[in-house]
Amino acid sequence: MTLLKLKDQSTLFGFVWTFLNPLAIVTILFIFFRLRIGPQVEHYAVFLLIGIIQYTHFSNSTSAAMHVLVAMRQLTGNTIFPKEILILSSVLSSVLELVLSMVICLLFALFTGLRPSWPLLLLPLVLLQQVLMVFWVSLCLSGLYIFIRDIDHIYHVFLRVLLFTTPIFYDLSFLGDGLARQIALLNPLTHLILYSRQLIISGTIFPLSGFALFTLANCILIILSLMIFRKAEPSFAEHI
Amino acid sequence: MDGSVRVRKLDKIFSIRRARPTTFKMIKSLLRGDRGAAEKFFALKDINLEIIAGEKLGIVGNNGSGKTTLLKVLAGLYRPDRGRVEVSGRMAFLAGLGIGMIDDLSVERNVFLYGTIYGLEIETIRERVQEIIDWAELQDFSRAKLKTLSSGMRTRLAFSTVRHIEADIFLLDEALTTGDKNFKKKCEEYFQSQKDSRATYLVSTHDLEFVGQFCRRTLWLHKGKIRALGDTDKVLKLYQESRA
Repeated sequence: MTLLKLKDQSTLFGFVWTFLNPLAIVTILFIFFRLRIGPQVEHYAVFLLIGIIQYTHFSNSTSAAMHVLVAMRQLTGNTIFPKEILILSSVLSSVLELVLSMVICLLFALFTGLRPSWPLLLLPLVLLQQVLMVFWVSLCLSGLYIFIRDIDHIYHVFLRVLLFTTPIFYDLSFLGDGLARQIALLNPLTHLILYSRQLIISGTIFPLSGFALFTLANCILIILSLMIFRKAEPSFAEHI
Repeated sequence: MDGSVRVRKLDKIFSIRRARPTTFKMIKSLLRGDRGAAEKFFALKDINLEIIAGEKLGIVGNNGSGKTTLLKVLAGLYRPDRGRVEVSGRMAFLAGLGIGMIDDLSVERNVFLYGTIYGLEIETIRERVQEIIDWAELQDFSRAKLKTLSSGMRTRLAFSTVRHIEADIFLLDEALTTGDKNFKKKCEEYFQSQKDSRATYLVSTHDLEFVGQFCRRTLWLHKGKIRALGDTDKVLKLYQESRA
């Protein structure tokens, strides 16, 4: 909460900046792709907004969390409390942004004529999975960043690639049945965006077995990342 | 969990580098298998130490003698390159005062933040926050942002908070305070009250007067090696003679 309160506190629009960036991207993508992709996708504006919100959250929170240990080098190098708490607090500080963005998205969906149905109640579970995924990715990135500073640049290139290989402004069917589709399906963010779209736009429930498998993989990856992070922790102070 | 510390044949080696190596250079040296090619020096060499629960040990030595490194190895912040470290009990490591405090938060919020970093329960802080602010003599500033405080006031606030840390072993690295006469007296009273406590203290400092008053035994480190270990008066005398 402390990080959240401090964020943007001295800027003119404060917390509103959080929403202006994705809104600008959505507007540009909508203008450019509405005529090409829009006609093939129902409620294209909402479709686009869901993708951008989830991608922006993933991109912003993992990028911020990657730098936390180095930015707070005094804490990392001179205190003995568990350092994963720094990562967790960074990840949690972006949760409110994700939730508020989704609320705005839902209001926008209502405005465009979509009616909520009971499967929408599962949306918090999808968002929880997203936060868990951000947590384990952040644990890996922040630990690696201490030893290899190039990770920052490599990750930014990766995020650009992710923006285009995740079905954010196009539908999965746009990729056909070839390798591109297989690559997109290997990306966990694709699944989370598809889950949200199904709940908000189609108003239907996604296959629960697939979601359970996703949850299990997320949990295993969190445990593994924590184990590796804790193993590397005694080397952080020396390399920071 | 009694507060004892045992160190056996401890070595800590650092590499001397002019600049952080690029990732390309790191990969190249890894592939060549010349990881050990960088110039090395022993920050700690063959350290053997046994500290019983409740003991107050002073650590003295010139800058670069290994005092901080020793405390950081004991705290688990540095990995030993050789030897064993056995620590029994809950530890608190204090390197400087006020680390983790945030300028843009109020004095009161900083007490919560700082206390949490050092393991105090939120409920405990809630109960004691007023006492902490009062002890630091900052009653009129509890809602002021930290950045409006002088460095002396910040130090008072930090010290006032750390008095409440509950630990079996305290590792203090130059965390002793200087300030106005009144505050210094309060600090001395606090440490006097700790002298017979059950907590173990390892205090690294250049304040030899403090070591003389607070510690029964003292360790003198010189270039990473133990130069002397024993009765504080004797060790301090040797140390001071070497500097004369």
